[in-house]
Amino acid sequence: MFEGLSHLGTAWAGFMNIHSILYGLGGAFIGIVVGVIPGLSATLVVALLTTLTLKVDTNNAILLLMCSYVGTLYGGSRTAILLNIPGTAANAASCADGYALAKRGEAGRAIGIATSGAFTGTLFGVLCLATFAPLLAEVALKFGAFEFFWLALFGVAMSGMIVGDDPVKGWLMGVLGLFVSQIGQDGLYAHDRFTFGWDQLAGGIDLIPALVGAFGLAEVITSLANPLQQKVIDVKDSVLPRFREVAQYWRTVLRSGVVGVFTGLLPGVGEDTGAWMSYAAAKAASKERDQFGKGSIDGLMAAETGDMSSIPAHLVPCLSLGIPGSAPSAVLMAAMIIHGVQPGPMLMVTHPQFIYDVVAMTTLATITILIFGLFFIRPLIYVLRVPYVILMPIIFLLCVVGAYAGASRLFDVYAMLFVGVGAFFLRLRGYSMAPFVLGMVLGGILDKSLRRGLVLSDGSLGPFFTRPICMVFATVTIFTMLLYIPVFRSAVNKIVTLCVSSVRALFARTA
Amino acid sequence: MVLGIAILIGSLLMDRLEEQDINPYTIPGLLPALLGIAMTALGFLVFIRKWTRFKGVVAARAPLSVDKRTAMNRMLLVLGICVIFCAGLLGRGLPYWLTGGVFVTACILLLDNRRRAAGEGRFTSGKIVRAAVIGFVASIAITLVFEQIFMIRLP
Repeated sequence: MFEGLSHLGTAWAGFMNIHSILYGLGGAFIGIVVGVIPGLSATLVVALLTTLTLKVDTNNAILLLMCSYVGTLYGGSRTAILLNIPGTAANAASCADGYALAKRGEAGRAIGIATSGAFTGTLFGVLCLATFAPLLAEVALKFGAFEFFWLALFGVAMSGMIVGDDPVKGWLMGVLGLFVSQIGQDGLYAHDRFTFGWDQLAGGIDLIPALVGAFGLAEVITSLANPLQQKVIDVKDSVLPRFREVAQYWRTVLRSGVVGVFTGLLPGVGEDTGAWMSYAAAKAASKERDQFGKGSIDGLMAAETGDMSSIPAHLVPCLSLGIPGSAPSAVLMAAMIIHGVQPGPMLMVTHPQFIYDVVAMTTLATITILIFGLFFIRPLIYVLRVPYVILMPIIFLLCVVGAYAGASRLFDVYAMLFVGVGAFFLRLRGYSMAPFVLGMVLGGILDKSLRRGLVLSDGSLGPFFTRPICMVFATVTIFTMLLYIPVFRSAVNKIVTLCVSSVRALFARTA
Repeated sequence: MVLGIAILIGSLLMDRLEEQDINPYTIPGLLPALLGIAMTALGFLVFIRKWTRFKGVVAARAPLSVDKRTAMNRMLLVLGICVIFCAGLLGRGLPYWLTGGVFVTACILLLDNRRRAAGEGRFTSGKIVRAAVIGFVASIAITLVFEQIFMIRLP
């Protein structure tokens, strides 16, 4: 424990210099500005900034990306409150109550509640990150090829199931992502797969161009194709955070923090799920249930705390298992790899200080959003007044730079264009891009784990189902997927109902 | 579904590297083949669901409304501009500030909805200059920041 505290102290001391503070503030500022613009996601800003930080030292680069990630989600709530359009998907749950408060002339109060909820939520998540990441990293050292196979499959299955409205479409996108990651030379024999003799494809489709396409270009096309831009509500009252309300709604804050962290720990399940689940839990437990959707402080606090607390939690599986918790953390993971840090079970062996550095970075990111929440919210709102027809082409130029800068090859720009146009049409059809991204990230792990596992077991599938950790993952994954089959689901419902009624009857008899 | 079947066929036809005497459980096409099967099954499920939902509803497709046609034209215009910029302008030896500036200017001029809503069909010289100033200032700023400050090559 004392060793951990010492590492944390060293990490904090490492960031107490003007360069790091400026990087942190700069990242948070860019993140908030991007978050304020509807549609532009944390994934896009982290991907674009990754290219900017190629020449920056590792810790400052990750600090900048971390602050931009936290800043984007924080900035997204401004748009949800003032426009009734979520700045990012994670802020959708803040729309109903935030906008209702703004329409009543309490926009500043709503922003203040969002700031205090975001601050306490992220801080709660940081505490969980500091506690769970080193513990999980210790457990992850016991993972072998069989466990990683199931973990990758579990991530794609859960992401497909929870993200979006339709699990089948989610799984389809997950499988598509897994397939796209197979294009290029395979990891064991460097054999070309699905390259059709095209040398450029031998290197595969890089994650950053694909992400910039899926989350940036697709959004640019959507915004430019739909020219409607709503009027912003003016902020007349004070935007200062209300920590008195945090104290008043401490149960909501704590519950939402726990729910946000839990959803954050699940691979591939984004911050929006954390926000919605926290909102639903708060509504179920609240005494002012009828006020939800009509300007409930409880509801707004729950949504903001839930989505922000899931950010540090997403980093727990990312750092300790090498499995990203969300699409932005997938880019963050790619950035760590670019900077020479390989997240995964070996991280505590190769870079024992790094997990604590990330904890310090996330804390710093929390402080930066509080600073911006206190002093710079009003000027940032002016970004919303810039017409999309000017803003979006400029963002497109940044997308092109973002896709190109990593390897300096035009092929990546074409890949970004292809993925972006594809994502645009798929989104129109109700397909979510998050499982696709997770599939792309986990494809390599799944492929190597399956083949290595089969070699170790000499072709037997037994160890994939009989090893203790595998049994848990396999049961949860298969059970989750089978729940989609109506016959199986109704049978499960019948069994659950039977169990509940038997327990009730037992208690009634005892009474 | 079609993609799934294509992936499955591609995986089955993939070289099994027998001449390298590799372990048969590590053939490169193993996971892609399984993914092809999964994609076919899921695609089939989506197809069946959609088919069941629309079974018996064989209505003649209504002609597109004016609003929808305008939206469709705008979407095609946006896609066209993006594709022309990426595939036609980039990598042809022109500097990024120039191609970027032309792209942003063209977007502002062609997609400005307020101009169309006001019934102003023609581009006035004032509007062209304004669009060009915004486009080139943004493009030059991006080029300077990335190339000069962060030392990153641009296409």
